[in-house]
Amino acid sequence: MGQAFLEIDGLFKNFGGLRAVDNVSFSMNRDQILGLIGPNGAGKTTLVRLIIGILRPDSGSIRFKGKNVIGLKTWDIINLGIACTFQNMRPFRRLPIIANVMVSCLCPRAMKRGEWVKRVEAKALDALEFAGISDMSLEKASTLSQGDLKRLEVARAIATEPELLILDEPFGGLSPAETDLMAKSIKRLHKGGRFGRLHSEGPAMIIIEHKLQQLMKIVDRIIVLNYGIIIADGTPEEVVNDKEVVESYLGEGGI
Amino acid sequence: MGILGVYLRKIYTLFRGEVLVLPSRIVVFLFFLVLLFLPVVTQDLYLLRILILTSIFAILAASWDLLSGYTGQMNFGHALFFGVGAYTAALLNLHAHIPPYGSIPLGGLAAVLAGLVIGIPCLRLRGTYLALTTLAFPIILMGIVFAIPGITGGELGVSGLSRLSSSRLYDYYITVVLMLGLCTIMWKITDSKTGIIFHAIREDELAVRTSGINVTRYKLLAFSLSGFFAGISGGLYAHFMRIAGPSTLEVSMSFTVVIWAVFGGIVTIYGPVGAVFILFPLLEFFRFWPEFRMLLFAVVILLILLYMPNGILPWVRDKIEKECPRCKVRNVATRKTCRVCVAPLD
Repeated sequence: MGQAFLEIDGLFKNFGGLRAVDNVSFSMNRDQILGLIGPNGAGKTTLVRLIIGILRPDSGSIRFKGKNVIGLKTWDIINLGIACTFQNMRPFRRLPIIANVMVSCLCPRAMKRGEWVKRVEAKALDALEFAGISDMSLEKASTLSQGDLKRLEVARAIATEPELLILDEPFGGLSPAETDLMAKSIKRLHKGGRFGRLHSEGPAMIIIEHKLQQLMKIVDRIIVLNYGIIIADGTPEEVVNDKEVVESYLGEGGI
Repeated sequence: MGILGVYLRKIYTLFRGEVLVLPSRIVVFLFFLVLLFLPVVTQDLYLLRILILTSIFAILAASWDLLSGYTGQMNFGHALFFGVGAYTAALLNLHAHIPPYGSIPLGGLAAVLAGLVIGIPCLRLRGTYLALTTLAFPIILMGIVFAIPGITGGELGVSGLSRLSSSRLYDYYITVVLMLGLCTIMWKITDSKTGIIFHAIREDELAVRTSGINVTRYKLLAFSLSGFFAGISGGLYAHFMRIAGPSTLEVSMSFTVVIWAVFGGIVTIYGPVGAVFILFPLLEFFRFWPEFRMLLFAVVILLILLYMPNGILPWVRDKIEKECPRCKVRNVATRKTCRVCVAPLD
């Protein structure tokens, strides 16, 4: 049997008396787009923070491409090929937008890819072009709207050329038209290929999102968390019909 | 002659296209020119002495900006690097008879070690906590200096060092050329890709980490670089004054550096340098009224910061230049259209 791309086993995380992640175990393949949903406070963001090493679990294991990532520094995990965006955007506000992306282009993983070692600016511009904000590359990040900040987050994440991309509420604060555009970009990115000097590995994805209608259109599989516990894991159709998910999260009206 | 003519024309074209287009660049060019050719006009020993000390402290102030302004690692104990550089150069010169051109760089390297010594325990700290912790280090070193007077000279310091050079004029050229060179290097560092990461660390350290950048390495690099430049200024000071005393480690020295940098405008490099060239001679000028000297000094600083909170030099720069809203290139304030993209500037 082949090795799982991402394998999480028996993960626990407590904050004082609160159990934020409770015996979470799942694995995913290289070609999947996984939706991670659940009510506020279910432990979704905590789980992401555990995967990228911002938090350390109390117990359990996280293996990425067969390598245990627990105990590694965040930047080492990113350089293994995982990238993430934040729910509350964290731009470098006083820097121009292009410099925001250049920081990601300067990470060892991105710099190793030979041909554009000396062309960081050009690659950053291509990442911005992919995200649809290249025309504002010289503006300060503080001038961006909510939707453009989301795009900047995506541009920064894909500039590291990840194999696993974790998007925390990529549709949050976007208008319906912008949401559709973002969903298309995500699909395009997942297919992989070359976008100028930017090369998409066709990353596997974990998407945390509350806009379920849009999410269902792009994911292959959904995991539902509630009080830190996985209460459902299956295809979008299976999950929306799951009684426990309906009771704890979706409500009788469904999505 | 023909080839020389071509090169001269090339240099003039470059000068016209790169320097004469912006008032700030003309000012910097004149600053270099005046400092390099001043001794042709006057070799007054007192004036040269003031300018030598000003140049030494300009390196120190710029090195603080590199660490605290650019990288956001608020250092209230910058005198540590200055003192370590001064004492190391002094002790090496006095006991190992290493001449100034060897002892000063070694003083800089010792300050790099000091940078790592304070950088490593301070990695987890930010803001006020970092500032207060860094404040403690020069005080600790001063305690060590007083504890081993046999080596450090205690309160009297280490004296009787070799002169920087054989004459005041040479001293002047050594310090001024070093100041111009080192400050240019610092400015180039901040303008490089490393500089972008320094900026980003100041803005949001977590976001830099999740961009795959080893933040620890870059923070230690900032401490080391800043320490090196400050250590060089400490070594220069020790050899120029021919003494390295506990005054180099005083808390007031650390805070004076912060005052210079904030007065001139942080995150600029040129701001702190300009501020030292304004404030240090000004303080000397106020010696005419010795009883009001510090009061006048404080009033000047307060007034400037009240009306120019980002520092005097960025304020002046914004008055004489404006940024193109489209291509972000700076233009003379009197221009109506951008010199590069021709977009209207108003």
